[in-house]
Amino acid sequence: MASFSPPTVPGSNRVRIVVATSVMLTFISYWRAAAVVLCDLASSAYYACGIAEQAVGKSAPWFIVGVMLFSFTVRAIYVESCSMFVRGGVYKVVKEALGGTLAKLSVSALMFDYVLTGPISGVSAGQYIVGLINEVLFTADAHGWIPRAVHGIFHGTPQFDVNLTSVLFALAVTLYYWWENIKGIHESSEKALWVMQITTVMVVVLLGWSGFTLFKNGFQHVPLPTPHNLHFTDESLGFLRWRFPGQSLPQMFGILGILIAFGHSVLAMSGEESLAQVNRELAHPKLKNLKRAAIVIALYSFIFTGLTALLAVMLIPDSVRVPVYKDNLIAGLAMYMYGPELMRLVFRGFVVLVGFLILSGAVNTAIIGSNGVLNRVSEDGVLADWFRRPHGKYGTSYRIINLIVGLQVFTIIASRGDVYALGEAYAFGVIWSFAFKGLAMLVLRFKYKGERGWKVPINFHIGRYEIPFGMASITMVLLAVALMNLFTKSVATVSGVAFSAVFFVIFTLSEIANKKKTAAYDKHMNDQFQLLQRDTVERESLSIRPGNILVPVRDYNTLAHLRWALEKFDTREQDVVVMSARITTFGAAAYELAPDQIFSDYEQTLFTRAVAVAESFGKTVSLLVVPAGDVWAAIVQTANNLESSAVVAGVSSKYAPQEQAFNLGRAWEGLPEPKRQFIFQVVHPEGGVDTFRIGPHSPSMKDEDVLLLHRLWLNITREPGLDKLHHHEILREALTRFARDYGARDREDILKELRRVNSEDGTEASRSTPNPPPLPVVHRESDDGRAARRDS
Amino acid sequence: MVGARFLEAMFVIGLLGSLGVLLVSFVEDAETLFDMEDKGHS
Repeated sequence: MASFSPPTVPGSNRVRIVVATSVMLTFISYWRAAAVVLCDLASSAYYACGIAEQAVGKSAPWFIVGVMLFSFTVRAIYVESCSMFVRGGVYKVVKEALGGTLAKLSVSALMFDYVLTGPISGVSAGQYIVGLINEVLFTADAHGWIPRAVHGIFHGTPQFDVNLTSVLFALAVTLYYWWENIKGIHESSEKALWVMQITTVMVVVLLGWSGFTLFKNGFQHVPLPTPHNLHFTDESLGFLRWRFPGQSLPQMFGILGILIAFGHSVLAMSGEESLAQVNRELAHPKLKNLKRAAIVIALYSFIFTGLTALLAVMLIPDSVRVPVYKDNLIAGLAMYMYGPELMRLVFRGFVVLVGFLILSGAVNTAIIGSNGVLNRVSEDGVLADWFRRPHGKYGTSYRIINLIVGLQVFTIIASRGDVYALGEAYAFGVIWSFAFKGLAMLVLRFKYKGERGWKVPINFHIGRYEIPFGMASITMVLLAVALMNLFTKSVATVSGVAFSAVFFVIFTLSEIANKKKTAAYDKHMNDQFQLLQRDTVERESLSIRPGNILVPVRDYNTLAHLRWALEKFDTREQDVVVMSARITTFGAAAYELAPDQIFSDYEQTLFTRAVAVAESFGKTVSLLVVPAGDVWAAIVQTANNLESSAVVAGVSSKYAPQEQAFNLGRAWEGLPEPKRQFIFQVVHPEGGVDTFRIGPHSPSMKDEDVLLLHRLWLNITREPGLDKLHHHEILREALTRFARDYGARDREDILKELRRVNSEDGTEASRSTPNPPPLPVVHRESDDGRAARRDS
Repeated sequence: MVGARFLEAMFVIGLLGSLGVLLVSFVEDAETLFDMEDKGHS
């Protein structure tokens, strides 16, 4: 038996807490990571081209292509940033480089970017959907399929108000995802991959059919991106229209006109920043996979966004492109393909369906991303902990989610469905978050001396100094565009500055309040706890004996299950490990947290209560905090690593005990070998206990089943040469035959018969979970641990 | 006017340098791309 160490620090009364710093995540391939980022980045193709053409004229596609090429270099900055081994959130990292004030502004710009992603995606999806509905109604009316009475009601062909309906649609989608995020939906890369597969089908058809149309119908030339071909509107000159009236600016300055046009097209690479958010989840070898994902992302968005912009101007006539299709350009492209009208309309429907999927996905990504960033900012100490308090029932940071969605709803209503205005404002957040990132990374080239896996190329040495020429060049472009946009995007500048100012004030006030709290927190921490940092959870290094009891805790008001465990188990014989899983949502952060961020004031309160409970029993407990992507995976992985014999949990406010066991069983199935079985006990507040076995185990058998087996054994052993046959050999043969039949022709018959048997049995467990999970690993037992009569 | 010229200069020098980054990166990107055949989905 391993030696037992008390969880207090020798020679003091301080309680030792082990903080695992590596997040327990389910790692994803670079394809999935690329799909997650593309769901945000590729969605820009649906609105960026239309916005750019309205701002700079018919040569806009060349600027979109230019921006997409430039995005290859911006991607390099993110790859270098992710290759640095740092801990903390975006604020902490930027603060290291640029100081507190610029770091707060940087986070404000990033928040503006994320908050605006939702409204522009939702409204744009609405524009595509309403555009299609109106087109279908128009076509139906042209064929005389709409009754005269309906005509009377609408005073002509029935048509929806595009902007108003888009606003309603965007609000509905946003509120739907608000509720999903409050409930804490488990976001996976699976859905993103599926959406990108469908999008790829659409892109292939779009490009192929467009190529055929170019061949059959010919095309319009796209004017080259020279100052002479730029046609700015008063709106797209912003504040400069007062200083230089008559649109003479591009002709006067030449290159400055190109810079203005580039600034109006920069929206096309919005979403690139999501690359940093999926970095932690990437499978090994991380850097190589990050580079692969980055290439896939850059190539895909270049082909989709860049070529679509060019094709739209080449194929859609000037008379309708901006007047009719400015807000749903890809739908317009579908309508000007070569082929019958019905086919074009069907393809437009497909374009809209993909648009709905990818754009509404971006609404969700925006909420998740903003939530992740603000959580990190709170962990960095510049947003009051009040915002991060978990929801009583769902455990999510509902106050942050409410704040984000509140801002998004306000933005959607204020925009009145105007995609151009939203795009202008969005560009502010996009370009300034890129510019701050570039600047921070440039400064970190000189200040950061730690590990760095990769560098943006073109670096040379002058004496002992390395000159990051490549990084400086990219940052110069980003800064030039960001500064230019301040003058040309009046809506963006006013709204962006106002938004950033509000967030800046919130961050500054929170930081002042947090400083006072931190002093008290540090004193309490130093008096009561000692944090021991471990990279991973290993039993030996934590001095915990095998066969221990793992007690996950989350809410400090519901520790009845800990009391039950301490009452039932003798801690001199079995260690009791109290574990808190610090959940970090999927795709929420580039870097891992520092130990003091993982063990925040909430965990401090939680463990203070847990220690008080243990002391009331005169017993000791071991304390453990693990950051995790999924609570179930964290529990089974910890139980497996610690060689726990039992996991004792309270009843969840979200799941029934059977569902808790099912989720745990599913997570257990996903564990790599070697893995151990354990008992899972759910303690009810009134004292009842549900016991489940997690992992494969011998099933409990009914008396009649045992009798049937015995009768078979009696008969078979009478046969010559089988007198030494065992019961288990008959069972094995029967199961082998059953598996063969199930895998072949008799599957349906077997399922039918099993459903009949199951409905006759009607176990309590199957009643509480109408669709029992198809997992063989969870086995329910009665209160006292005896095997129940039926499997659940 | 001076500000405008300064922005122009930043933009042009930055674009030329970025073009250099793009060209140098293409070599590494091509190597990474042609090494992509293993373990697509996990």
